Amino acid sequence: MTTPATTTPSIQTPPIPQGAGSAAVPSTAPAKASATQRDGSSNIGTFGVKSGLAQMLKGGVIMDVVNAEQARIAEEAGACAVMALERVPADIRREGGVARMSDPEMIKQIIDAVTIPVMAKVRIGHFVEAQILQAVGVDYIDESEVLTPADDEFHINKHGYKVPFVCGARDLGEALRRISEGAAMIRTKGEAGTGNVIEAVRHQRAVMSQIRKASVMSEEELYVFAKEIQAPFHLLKETARLKRLPVVNFAAGGIATPADAALMMQLGCDGVFVGSGIFHSGDPARRARAIVQAVTHYNNPKLLAEVSEALGPAMVGLTIDKNIAGGLLASRGN
Amino acid sequence: MLAKRAESRKVVGILALQGAFVEHQAALEKLAFQYRLEVILVKTPEELARCDALVIPGGESTTIALLARLSGVLDPLREFVRTKPVWGTCAGAILLSQAVENAKKGGQELLGGMSITTARNGWGSQVESFEAALTVDGLQSPDVPFTGVFIRAPVVVKLHPAPEDPPILVVARLSPHLLPPSLASPHHSDEPKIFVALRQGKHFLTTFHPELTDDNRFHEYFIRECVFSQCR
Repeated sequence: MTTPATTTPSIQTPPIPQGAGSAAVPSTAPAKASATQRDGSSNIGTFGVKSGLAQMLKGGVIMDVVNAEQARIAEEAGACAVMALERVPADIRREGGVARMSDPEMIKQIIDAVTIPVMAKVRIGHFVEAQILQAVGVDYIDESEVLTPADDEFHINKHGYKVPFVCGARDLGEALRRISEGAAMIRTKGEAGTGNVIEAVRHQRAVMSQIRKASVMSEEELYVFAKEIQAPFHLLKETARLKRLPVVNFAAGGIATPADAALMMQLGCDGVFVGSGIFHSGDPARRARAIVQAVTHYNNPKLLAEVSEALGPAMVGLTIDKNIAGGLLASRGN
Repeated sequence: MLAKRAESRKVVGILALQGAFVEHQAALEKLAFQYRLEVILVKTPEELARCDALVIPGGESTTIALLARLSGVLDPLREFVRTKPVWGTCAGAILLSQAVENAKKGGQELLGGMSITTARNGWGSQVESFEAALTVDGLQSPDVPFTGVFIRAPVVVKLHPAPEDPPILVVARLSPHLLPPSLASPHHSDEPKIFVALRQGKHFLTTFHPELTDDNRFHEYFIRECVFSQCR
């Protein structure tokens, strides 16, 4: 059977189902090798390979770990990546004080212990911590409100790094501002260390609702909407066309059970971060594996029921109000 | 012609346990009309049983293998690989290998299917991930170079086909000087480490990610050469 040679590289991206947990993210790699030569030069750290790694993490669970042993438990339980940090958010909340980037030696031990990608957190605006983590060789940097911010005005300019960044967002404007600064992946902020999913739900619903509104707007309306939500116009326009964020979007902040994880997937997230929820629970290995299964089979209530059985106690949950220990983390950085 | 094509209608599945499966779905859907394909996502043994061919996407090979076992689809997958066309990209390429180096501590489960050994994360961490133009045999529009997107990519370290195995065909090569320093050996410009797309019988692997570009020529190649043609 012969086939017509119709391989023009820039075919329009097909319409993408809205709200699906893992919709295709538009390709950011060039279709034509205009930037690459056949003599065999290569481009390292392109936006395509940065956002591409996030695409490989979709449908997966990224777990907070504080040492190599926990990292191994997470890998055995099916984590698609681990987040190396000194204290999980629940402990940062309880103990207070300034939370900073982790000791590079600890991060290296975790890198040596596992074969999956290793992420690590830097303080908002602390670009030297980011330079250090890139030198250490982490696979992703989380510029995170969970650590104490180093700058209350500026985020890191993330374009210049070879290592990709993920950033938190509470609504569409915040997400697009972070992407404009070079973030290759977005997550909800939620309210970390609470075991309470309400804020993550609020943030994801806000993002999806604003995307749905934008997707039916005329261009004139988009200009005004961009001003309203303080988003760069070209990114808003692209988001409206795609009917999804132009990069991968994970849930984070307060996810403690398989049901929480599946809830976030059904609300349109591409995958899930679990922080304190695993290693502050009664049976971390079992709960971790259950959450991994819940993210894959998020639309299968029967299987969700099976994996939710007999997991032991979940982490202690906190009510989120003004008086919460450690304060409201999601309001850090905007 | 149409009637003949209707007879040869094929169901192509994409293993959808974890990773970039929706990207493959979008790329294959573009070929669905031309080749009379039905493209489905596979999470269960029942869905796998409907398939005439399978794509195993990029993701984390350890996660995909564990989820396959927990979903009861690991043994059906091994059976599937024995008889039907399968294409693995990146993590999928690792799963299709007979053996793997730099595996998870304590080893990891593979499907096998191709008589090769791969090494995971052959280039190192994410900061070494790259894009490069490839030399490819057998694609449509051969004059247009193909951009290979390599993300924490595996490296093919050894081919070891048994005499009764189908021969291994090199479909795409990387420039030798792009090899990571730990693997580079300037004297051998034709050793396995520069092979980034290989075909053996009905099986196909790419260590890079064609599904991350808008260029679906590798998808077209798999459908044309592995799914529809009588395999060698």
